[in-house]
Amino acid sequence: MRSPDPIMRAPLAPLLAKELWEILGGRALWLLLLLVCPLVGYSFVQAVSLYGEASAAGLQSPALAVSLSPLDGVLVPTFGAFYVAVTLLFPFVAIRVLGHEKETGALRLLVQLPYGSGTIVAVKVAAVLVAWALASIPVLSALVAWRLLGGHLHSPETSTLVLGHLLYGLLVGAIALFAAAIAESAATAAIITLAFTLGSWVLDFTLAGRPGILDWLSRLSLTQVLRPFEQGLLPAGAVVGTAAVICGFAALAAIWLPPGVPLRRKLARSGLCVLAVMAVVGLASQLRFSPDTSEDRRNSFSAADHTALARLTGSLAITVHLAPEDPRYIDFRRNVLAKLERALPNVAVRLAQGRQTAAGSSADDAYGEIEYAYGARADVSRSTSPREVLPLLYALGDVAVPTPAPGTDYPGYPLAVDAGVTLPWFFGVLPLLIAFAWWWSRRPPAIEKAWVHQGGQ
Amino acid sequence: MDGAVHTISRLASARHDVAAPAPMWEHRRPDVRPVPEPLLAVTALNRRYGEQIALADVGFAASAGEVLGIIGPNGAGKTTMLETIAGVMPADGGEILWRGVPLPQARRRAFIFYLPDGIRPYGDEPVARVLKFFAGVYRRHDAEVAGAIASVGLAPMLAKRVQSLSKGYARRLMLALGLLAPHPLLLMDEPFDGFDLRQTRAIAQVLRRAAGEGRTLVLAIHQLADAERVCDRFVLLADGRVRGSGTLAELRNRVGLSDAGLEDIFLALT
Repeated sequence: MRSPDPIMRAPLAPLLAKELWEILGGRALWLLLLLVCPLVGYSFVQAVSLYGEASAAGLQSPALAVSLSPLDGVLVPTFGAFYVAVTLLFPFVAIRVLGHEKETGALRLLVQLPYGSGTIVAVKVAAVLVAWALASIPVLSALVAWRLLGGHLHSPETSTLVLGHLLYGLLVGAIALFAAAIAESAATAAIITLAFTLGSWVLDFTLAGRPGILDWLSRLSLTQVLRPFEQGLLPAGAVVGTAAVICGFAALAAIWLPPGVPLRRKLARSGLCVLAVMAVVGLASQLRFSPDTSEDRRNSFSAADHTALARLTGSLAITVHLAPEDPRYIDFRRNVLAKLERALPNVAVRLAQGRQTAAGSSADDAYGEIEYAYGARADVSRSTSPREVLPLLYALGDVAVPTPAPGTDYPGYPLAVDAGVTLPWFFGVLPLLIAFAWWWSRRPPAIEKAWVHQGGQ
Repeated sequence: MDGAVHTISRLASARHDVAAPAPMWEHRRPDVRPVPEPLLAVTALNRRYGEQIALADVGFAASAGEVLGIIGPNGAGKTTMLETIAGVMPADGGEILWRGVPLPQARRRAFIFYLPDGIRPYGDEPVARVLKFFAGVYRRHDAEVAGAIASVGLAPMLAKRVQSLSKGYARRLMLALGLLAPHPLLLMDEPFDGFDLRQTRAIAQVLRRAAGEGRTLVLAIHQLADAERVCDRFVLLADGRVRGSGTLAELRNRVGLSDAGLEDIFLALT
């Protein structure tokens, strides 16, 4: 008892190998892959077809081509199919990572092995990550197909999109692991996980854009995780916050994993864990670093404006006389405020009269006005367009209106091509390869000769 | 089973380098002081399921190298007792002592390995892969794995998936895992379930040899004939309470039946 216990330590490799074989040995992952193939393939072909139709005009006119971004036109819709599969089907794969052991009683052996609960769950999260990577093969092959068809990919925005889906997949996986840890059966765990994922859709559909607490609630939706990444944004707050929530669910799974720990102790540890995660998420929400990786700089002002605005080193105060749910405010928020916050070091935005509502604002003469105060100067405007707001700001800061540098405008990437040639890949070749890999994974392993010979066989 | 004679001694005496820790009982040896404490002592163990009492002030002790039988009918609390001792189920009260020192729940897996009844771990995997996993975890060499396989006669089933094994072979797999685990104390729930008479005798020999090598075995058994065949001492359990404990001779003396079998003793005490 006094000496360290060698039995409390063991190599990680066997545990990791076991988890990988477990995830490959089940049907859930292979069925998910087989279902994702046609789902992604159909979405990809449809997206390319619509993009091609839109490109017809863009190929004639460079002005129209500017609005043609493969990110919006092809990548996001194709990854959208993957998102649906991850939301609805991936939980079953992730639940199996723990639920199968729980249902078969193997968990009672696993928790006796010389690994801590945290190690066991960390390795299971790694297995979930591998499962997600395998499940993403069809959608990643769609990217390759897009390039082979002559399509354009901007690496930073594509990587950002993939990172967003990775975080979302891990989040769903971590929730599924937690659900499997607390539920008695895989079916119950599936219900709990789908309550999270489908509940997120409900939150999104019913509460987004509503005033007050409802809007705040809608932001708890898991689908909100993806939104900035689909716009080419890489918000540090969202990355850190989502990573913290993933770690939080994994930690909760580790807390609830050992069957021998009394319920009261598990509840107390869970409470501490939730508080810690909330603290990290709260701190992460204060992070304003959010690089715009989109090639068309949709989340930023032009490079020339960005440089000019950086000269406004003083504090800019903006008071908005609009209700939060007013479409003008939403437009202003997206086209001006979000970009200003990225370009200006000191900008403070305030909604006048707290939570003003559009319905009760008719009597307010100032409703619709936006006040700008920079140093000793101030101005008022009702415009929500950057074309009018930016000159106003330059005037306040005595900064010359910049002229755009030639050749820096986004050219757009129109492409009219028939993606039907990729259908055999998504509906035939890839499913066959997956079926072959499934069969291969089910082959009995080679038996160590030494085991049989030395065993007296 | 022919290789079984040498198997346990190979498992027990296998030499390990620094990276591969020696079996637990070898490590514990330096801690052994010349004191009379038993290897394992259970005191006032309690467990309830709602209003139902599963274990009521259960207490007993087991010495090193002993085969202790926990005897009782179905529902007596044998499985609950083993699981609370192993730490895979929380106890409502009581203490587990290891050589006289309290052993908290989180540290029991360093000393005790529990083989549950009726499970088929990793059913989708071939037997060989499950054995390889445990051998890897406990850094067992091929010779040791081969010895465990030979001990329980599992060689013909190595390529089969665990879920396709018969009840008897599933039990052999569990026993093989127990032999690969280096813990000084093995708790086994119904180790003979699924075996016929000959197989039971052979497995009993394997267990006796393991005890002969210094491992302590605590076996929960509801077949009294099997228990009599393999155990050194007995703890008689009924309705979650210990009704008697000791060797067969001690129990006979206690009930005053000099030629009584375990069955008669159990009936007399419960």
